[in-house]
Amino acid sequence: MIRQLFKLIWNKKQTHALLIIEIWASFLVLFGLASLIAYNVRNYIQPLGFEYENVWAISLNNNQDTLAVQEKVETIFKQIKDFPEVESLSRMSDSYPFSHSNNSRSVKYKNTSAQMLFVSADENLSKTIGIPLVEGKWYKNADSVGKYRPVVINKIAEKKLFENESAVGKILSDYDGKATWIISGVIDYYKDKAEFMENKPVMFELLKSADTWNKAMVIRVKPGTDAVFEAKLVKAITSVARGWSTEVVYLTDARQKQHDITLIPVLIFLVICSFLLINVALGLFGILNLNIARRRGEIGLRRAIGATEGMVTMHFLGEMWVLTTFSLILGLLLAVQFPILNVFNVATDIYAAAIFSATVIIYLIVTLCAWYPSRQASRIHPAVALHEE
Amino acid sequence: MLINYIKIAWKVLLRHPFYTFITLFGISLTLTVLMLLTAFIDHLIGTHYPETNRARTLYVERMVMSDPVAESMMSGPMSFKFLNDYAKTLRTAERATIFSYFNGSNAYVGSNKIKLNITFSDADFWRVNAFNFIEGKPFNEQNISNGDNVAVITDQFKKQYFPDSDQPVVGKNVEIENINYKVIGVVKGSPITRPFTHADIYFPYTAPKSNYQSDGMRGNFNAMILAKEEGDLRTVQSEFQSKIRKIPLPGKQGGFKYSVLEVRSDPYLENFIMMIMNGGPGLKNIFYGVIGFIMFMVMGLPAVNLVNLNVGRILERSSEIGVRKAFGAPVKTLMWQFIVENIFITFIGGSIALIFTIILIWMINKSGWIAYSDLTINFQVFSVSVVVCLIFGLLSGVLPALRMSKLSIIDALKS
Repeated sequence: MIRQLFKLIWNKKQTHALLIIEIWASFLVLFGLASLIAYNVRNYIQPLGFEYENVWAISLNNNQDTLAVQEKVETIFKQIKDFPEVESLSRMSDSYPFSHSNNSRSVKYKNTSAQMLFVSADENLSKTIGIPLVEGKWYKNADSVGKYRPVVINKIAEKKLFENESAVGKILSDYDGKATWIISGVIDYYKDKAEFMENKPVMFELLKSADTWNKAMVIRVKPGTDAVFEAKLVKAITSVARGWSTEVVYLTDARQKQHDITLIPVLIFLVICSFLLINVALGLFGILNLNIARRRGEIGLRRAIGATEGMVTMHFLGEMWVLTTFSLILGLLLAVQFPILNVFNVATDIYAAAIFSATVIIYLIVTLCAWYPSRQASRIHPAVALHEE
Repeated sequence: MLINYIKIAWKVLLRHPFYTFITLFGISLTLTVLMLLTAFIDHLIGTHYPETNRARTLYVERMVMSDPVAESMMSGPMSFKFLNDYAKTLRTAERATIFSYFNGSNAYVGSNKIKLNITFSDADFWRVNAFNFIEGKPFNEQNISNGDNVAVITDQFKKQYFPDSDQPVVGKNVEIENINYKVIGVVKGSPITRPFTHADIYFPYTAPKSNYQSDGMRGNFNAMILAKEEGDLRTVQSEFQSKIRKIPLPGKQGGFKYSVLEVRSDPYLENFIMMIMNGGPGLKNIFYGVIGFIMFMVMGLPAVNLVNLNVGRILERSSEIGVRKAFGAPVKTLMWQFIVENIFITFIGGSIALIFTIILIWMINKSGWIAYSDLTINFQVFSVSVVVCLIFGLLSGVLPALRMSKLSIIDALKS
């Protein structure tokens, strides 16, 4: 039966060439869309790893003022801490959660090296934004006196550098091989560019108070605190440090911005693709209708020599499926290159999921479009069809 | 003759409304997407308010210091001093302006917070760019040398900050980060997609926190150089480059050693592409690859679909072709008929697309998705679309028509 169908299609390959191209192209478009969606969905279902409600980030810039910067930062820090509205605060580098700022370093352990997102923060960060620890503990400010600087890494970094060993207490070296850091704890997730970010290796380093370069802060405020307090806060900061710039960002807003960056392109792509597919589906429907109208004689003959309605329907559906399989094989040849050549550095299982769902959707669309014309064809009465001939 | 063809085409359209719908859907969808795309691109790189002199403006946005031996590179905006020495002093240019990139800040009114972007600029900023002053006037050299705390604000910020925004606000104060500034003018704002002129508040560069005092070459300022006329751009560019070449190499900047120094002065489009390319050649290839793929699919799929359908449908009309051929119509005439028919259909699709695009653009502008967005269907966009329209008509018209008109009379008449 299938060989028979192949033969029928092969004999009309010129007529079917355009149809094959169309299905092939739709498959590729769907594959692209499905990869994009699968990638983002997989990232989204992984936990964020920290809390952002009621957390604000404050970034400071000392501009032309270079006098006693460290003292001023410490005074500001103390003043903010004393406000009753502030539950907890932590000083950190400019790459606070959901910020656009990025910092990464190459880190080595024995012969394995890994590229890590690099965040400087003091002892309060895990408390302020609620990062639970899986192993060990978060470093203390007092730890800065030791030979190595204490750091906290996440699970994926631990797995990358130590495979199955525990990381706590191990010494890491920098790019040049100089032993620099000691691991004091391991956390699970920290996706600081919001839910749609891929889970990447992260390293938190203890921020020294004398490090005047890193003077951003994250503060957790009591629920219900509003802009009146914020204005008070900014006033307090600028009265300590005249000429400094201050910017206060709510993490909920910053998160929304990060989401928009991810979601807007996906949405645009989704809308365009759905219109393309509707277009293709309508076209397929029209072409099949035309084809079947042209093959009335053949259908009449088959019915006259005993084919049932179901058999005729199946015949036309089968023809379309074989044609679809043809184009899908061509499409798959191209699509499997993405995981093989590791394009865009996306995991293989995402491509696999994308290929699978794109294949299913294509078969679904083709079946839907072929169903009605095939049914119609099967209802052709042999006497009428043969009479025309 | 043409009218006859169009009449026939009209009748053919009405005979099968469903097929007509598919055809028109395909054409209008594709053209709408293309027209929206061109409108966006035009919005990004075309000459629009307030950068009405974009055609004769050079943008100095980035200084790249690198050391090929150590494979190290540092890039970013420049200091006021550097631009004042090198960009302001060009003899071949009409004038130049130095301004900072916009920076985020907050203002507070009662229990409300207003997020805003601030820019520091010199007085020439208002001469290079044609801002529309609703109230007051720009700050001038006098304000700058006095170190006045004055500000030009946008109409949108005025509405947010002042409770009764119908009253004129020139002379009133705005408080930003604990410093009071006197409002000197109110302008119609510039959308965020024009990053060089976008801001909510413009301060003179001598206002606090602008960091114009930094010595060294790096800082947070950019420049726009206005040539006397469009043809002068090359001359101005080469004068600027010859000045840059006089900077002694190798040099040192804040502990960073460099042996190569590059400061480009490009027209907007080139600068825009450089900005995208900054992520390295890999990113550029991906960017072009993705854009190309999307364009190809958006154009290609409906085209294949249309050709496919047309090939199928033209067979319906084989008897008509047979009769016409039997009465002596040559292949050329028949082909012309089908081409005209297809162009006619494409233009109907094009007009539908035009209406859709107008509605969509109106919605985008109204939605406030991009503040001050001024997407328009201008003549350029429309002419691009018409050309695309024609290519489409020919693509989906020539192939089936050619096939059909080559049919022998007997075959055509038989069915």
